[in-house]
Amino acid sequence: MSVFEPVLEPGLVHTPVTPFTRDNRIDYDTFAKLIEFHIGSGADSLALPMHIGESASLTDEEQRALLAFTIKLVNGRKPIIAHTSDAGSAIAADRARHAERLGAAAVIATTPYYWTPPPHMIIEHFVAIGSAVSIPFFVYNSPEEMPGSKITAELCLKLIDRLPNFAGVVDLSLDWQFMIELLTYAKRKRPGFALIAGTEHMVSAAAIGATGLFSPLAGIAPKLVRKLYDGCRKDQLVEARGAQEAVAALRQHLKSSGNLKAALRTMGRDCGAPRPPLQAPDAEATRALTATLEPMLRDEPRGF
Amino acid sequence: MQNKFRGVMQSPITPLKDDYSLDLPTFEKVLDFHVRTGAPAISWPHHKGESLSLTIPERKRFAEATVKVVAGRVPVTIHVSALAVEDTMELAQHAQKIGADGILAITPYFWTPTREAIHDYFIRLCTSIELPVLSYNSPSYLAGVEITGDLMSRLIERLPNFVGVKEASFNSEKFLEISRVALSLRPNFALLTGVEFLLPSVPLGGVGSYSAAGSVCPNLCAALFDACMASEWPRARELQYKMTRLWHLFKDQYPSSLKGGMVIMGRPVGPTRPPLPTATKERQAFIEKELADMGVLESEPHGW
Repeated sequence: MSVFEPVLEPGLVHTPVTPFTRDNRIDYDTFAKLIEFHIGSGADSLALPMHIGESASLTDEEQRALLAFTIKLVNGRKPIIAHTSDAGSAIAADRARHAERLGAAAVIATTPYYWTPPPHMIIEHFVAIGSAVSIPFFVYNSPEEMPGSKITAELCLKLIDRLPNFAGVVDLSLDWQFMIELLTYAKRKRPGFALIAGTEHMVSAAAIGATGLFSPLAGIAPKLVRKLYDGCRKDQLVEARGAQEAVAALRQHLKSSGNLKAALRTMGRDCGAPRPPLQAPDAEATRALTATLEPMLRDEPRGF
Repeated sequence: MQNKFRGVMQSPITPLKDDYSLDLPTFEKVLDFHVRTGAPAISWPHHKGESLSLTIPERKRFAEATVKVVAGRVPVTIHVSALAVEDTMELAQHAQKIGADGILAITPYFWTPTREAIHDYFIRLCTSIELPVLSYNSPSYLAGVEITGDLMSRLIERLPNFVGVKEASFNSEKFLEISRVALSLRPNFALLTGVEFLLPSVPLGGVGSYSAAGSVCPNLCAALFDACMASEWPRARELQYKMTRLWHLFKDQYPSSLKGGMVIMGRPVGPTRPPLPTATKERQAFIEKELADMGVLESEPHGW
């Protein structure tokens, strides 16, 4: 019996923000321009709506509509990965099922919001979402954002046994022990299992064996991110250190959706402010941010 | 000038007799084994050497033996971290008096000192001796107590003998920040890590590590270091994954399983002091099976 192992090599994945109008509705006109910008500036795939795209501030209906709009607009030019995390397993699973019907290339989800279930129930949560679809399923490991539930290498190995379409982990832990242990053992069970860097700290992850990158900063500095990614994929790891330091410096200032959207405005790609409860930086903080970023972004594209 | 602390440096375990007293003749054999099998430097007593279960007079006695047996063949550093800072100061003085080549010191235990207190601690320690000092950063074991990039830069600027760090956060972002700051101020700063985690650290400026499994597999340690320094990343990955299987085997109740592994390799070193357990016969049999499966019994030296 052959084991079904769907494969998707997502490559450099851009994770767009969600633009809002002044009255807090999704701004689809701007979103269409933003998606075209991402496709035109080096994205191999798109993943949305990730946390940087304020997924947890969108209603279920909005998340479904946003995905449908994107898949129709992109029209097969790039794979679209749907983020379907939620607090309830059935809610997340149902959104995943919807994503597959729309034509998403893969689904990604993290641990449940708010609840702190024991490890065996975290596995059940992921099994519920992953088994709702036949496209590849990725686990999003983001311990700082999701402190209530720990994703261990051991948990992932058990999940491989349960889910034939569990294709990899997108890692935001930056934890060498987790990444090395995961790949050491996961590749013995599933040779195509992928480690994907969940943010732009890619050199160490790539040394360990990461083959992809989820990049929120690609909307701000697509050239720099591409340079980092290409260096890592060519195994020019020592050479990639310069780009790594430059992206890390940028990331220090742009971890929040509020700051990222403020920076997008200075780059001529105004996507509005974040939805409550997130806040935009005030005028003074925005001026300081702009002054800091200006010299770091001279070579990056302006406007859509 | 190249820093003399580089490569996979070995920190010997502490051999004990059945009554848990120090076993000097076996310790001399352990030291000689490490030097003969290619250790580029020796450092004792790390946590793996049960440092905190030894009395201060015991630590001094074996420090003297270490310097005497190694006899200048490779550099010797003494790990001076003790529960009481006053003991650390005393051990540092002693290390200088007996002719060690440097000391290693972790941020203070238990008290979760503030950043300013950590700063003052290293200033006091480093100005009390003329020996080179390697600092030891281990935030995940010490409840978030850490040497940040900012603190690192203040210490390097102030202290000419602050020459390196064992950076054991095992986190891409933290390691990169310390590397960026330290190497810009002191280009030959010894950027080291723990547990042979060379693969993710070398591309970011790392020049070596201490070793967890070196008393079992010195050949693997040397091969991994050579592959990383030669940027032979596919080979380095394969070797690091193999090393991970050894770490997985030994990290449980570290170092008792490691001592169990040494029995299998024909280098018995006695029990482990309570509160840590001693590897049982069953555990040793399991370790033997794993080592055989990895090919370690053939590829690594047996006996002294």
